[in-house]
Amino acid sequence: MIDRDPEGRKRARLAPWLLLAPGMVWLFLFFFFPLWTLARMSLSSRPSRFANPTFDWNWSNYGDAFSRYGEQFTRSFTYAALATLATLCIAYPIAYVIAFRGGAWKNVLLGLCVVPFFTNYLIRTLAWKTILGDQGPLVEALRSLGVLAADGRLLRTPLAVVGGLTYNFLPFMILPVYVALEKIDPRLVDAARDLYATTWRAFRKVVLPLSLPGVFAGSLLVFIPAAGDFVNAYYLGSAKTTMIGNVVQDQFLVQVDYPVAAALSFVFMAIVMVSVVVYARLLGTEDLA
Amino acid sequence: MTARRSHTGIGRREFLTRSGLLLGGTALAPTLLAACGGGGDGGGGDGRSVSISNWTSYIDPALNRAFTRRTGIKVTYTEDINDNNEYFAKIRPNLSRNQSIGRDGIVLTDWMASRLINELRWVQPLVEAEIPNKKNLRAALRSPGFDRERTYSLPWQSGVTGIAYNIDVTGTEIRTIDEFLAVEGTKTVLTEMRDTIGLIMASMGIDTDEPTFEKAAPAFDKLERAVRDGRISGFNGNEYVNDLGAGNLAAAFAWSGDVAQITRDNPKVRFAVPESGGMLWSDNFLIPKTSNRAGLASRWINFFYDPANAARLTAEVQFISPVEGVPEQLRKLGGDAAKLVDNPLVVPTEEFLAQNHIFGPLSGKEEERFDERFSQILGTG
Repeated sequence: MIDRDPEGRKRARLAPWLLLAPGMVWLFLFFFFPLWTLARMSLSSRPSRFANPTFDWNWSNYGDAFSRYGEQFTRSFTYAALATLATLCIAYPIAYVIAFRGGAWKNVLLGLCVVPFFTNYLIRTLAWKTILGDQGPLVEALRSLGVLAADGRLLRTPLAVVGGLTYNFLPFMILPVYVALEKIDPRLVDAARDLYATTWRAFRKVVLPLSLPGVFAGSLLVFIPAAGDFVNAYYLGSAKTTMIGNVVQDQFLVQVDYPVAAALSFVFMAIVMVSVVVYARLLGTEDLA
Repeated sequence: MTARRSHTGIGRREFLTRSGLLLGGTALAPTLLAACGGGGDGGGGDGRSVSISNWTSYIDPALNRAFTRRTGIKVTYTEDINDNNEYFAKIRPNLSRNQSIGRDGIVLTDWMASRLINELRWVQPLVEAEIPNKKNLRAALRSPGFDRERTYSLPWQSGVTGIAYNIDVTGTEIRTIDEFLAVEGTKTVLTEMRDTIGLIMASMGIDTDEPTFEKAAPAFDKLERAVRDGRISGFNGNEYVNDLGAGNLAAAFAWSGDVAQITRDNPKVRFAVPESGGMLWSDNFLIPKTSNRAGLASRWINFFYDPANAARLTAEVQFISPVEGVPEQLRKLGGDAAKLVDNPLVVPTEEFLAQNHIFGPLSGKEEERFDERFSQILGTG
């Protein structure tokens, strides 16, 4: 017998579950299950170096992760924060110009921002190695201008790593900020001007607050992958600029210490989660589309 | 929470979302792929093919075709080894569960070969009956510590780790590790721990044949100080090749074969074996225990122990051949190949070999201490 509601429509009891099923299966297989495995691994210990780790509530992995790699954690989040700030400073004006002044060229301009990133991530990072190289044109120009000392260099410095992160994640800031700005009704700015607001005040009171959801989304899209990145630190940095991603890579591939690597990944996720919540509180996200 | 959703401009936003996703995918994919590594199933099922993994640029592909012509055995040859540790991480999940890795032959450096042979027993004996050319193995390589009878392994190529430098940047020749550290400019060492720490140990007069962590400690301290003072600015694999040629590096710890290949085009790049000696190493052919084509894989390695084929391989890769009789065959090949006979990095004299060191085996516990200390200096430990 078919269930009917008071108006006589069929009650679909299974339909919502069926519709949810693919998503749930996906989430279970590719999110919860790996996360659970990772959590178990992070609490395992190894009887010997190459033996498969066994689960035994070994919390000391977390102790190790915190105490031994504090420096790399701090560095990762500092670099990621700096890169996020830098992308914001570069992306906001670009997105603003495209959204408000782009006219018929909007899509072309956006395309121009995105197209360079169709090149492989690794290749782009390696290209920076050539550009920033000690005998490269950039360093020579900066030396002759006196910006860099005669033996000054760019490659293998923190500046190169933060610069690489900024460059590689720039479009992730441009696109969401652009979407937020593009949604703003230009007549709101006109109204502000009619009420004697200066251009700057109209921007500060109208445009900026309305674009914050985009800034928030962009910051997350830049900050999280940047903090976990190891490619930029590996190719553009030195032994003094290693990030947590490099440590995880080393623990997995060289030390073969999967439990500590898993614990590091968990600590990383926890820090990211806490910073996202704090950031969301500060910026207010109820308006996020 | 206020749900304020605008429905205008969906088209463009949808476009943006999609391009964002696409972009995200393109940016993340290499990282993910790098983490997973390329898979690949070994050989067909007819039993007349072998699947081999080797390092990049480590063969003349024509030799594989010649092997197939002569024996009728097809070769699936994959250049997917870039780093011993990385490759180990890739094969470990399967081999530790006794599952196939889809390969019948792999090529790994001495210490990793030792780990697979002695510590983990993940390889099977070579099929002697299929390798009559084993008699051509050079005497010096016949009984290494990790495989006394060469039951499980045969060297593919050998090389020497020393110092490479760009004379235009350094302005001076480099003959010792201390000169290397003192010279102006950007310098790097290798991420391969045994090569880097071995060279430094040898320069301090520390024996590397039977290394222990205590003996190596002063060498680690010296390396650490050099990294801290900025006298060594980085660690790398063979990325140094391009940087040296371009002058972005003044000097680097380097592998002989790579440098032999650069110096062909760029005479400013020079290679020196330090006066205290270089590090001598071999990459070894091994058959994983899960392969059921050990006989065919053995025939494949046998082919490269024929001096004529070995010489063609040497002419291409310019490392040191483990096969006797290669110089004569190189002369027969004539042209550039014949000139290699006079290059001590390709055809070393006994006296040249004697001034180099071999990094002896490390026990599991010791190796762990070495690796940890090295990572610490690398900034990841």
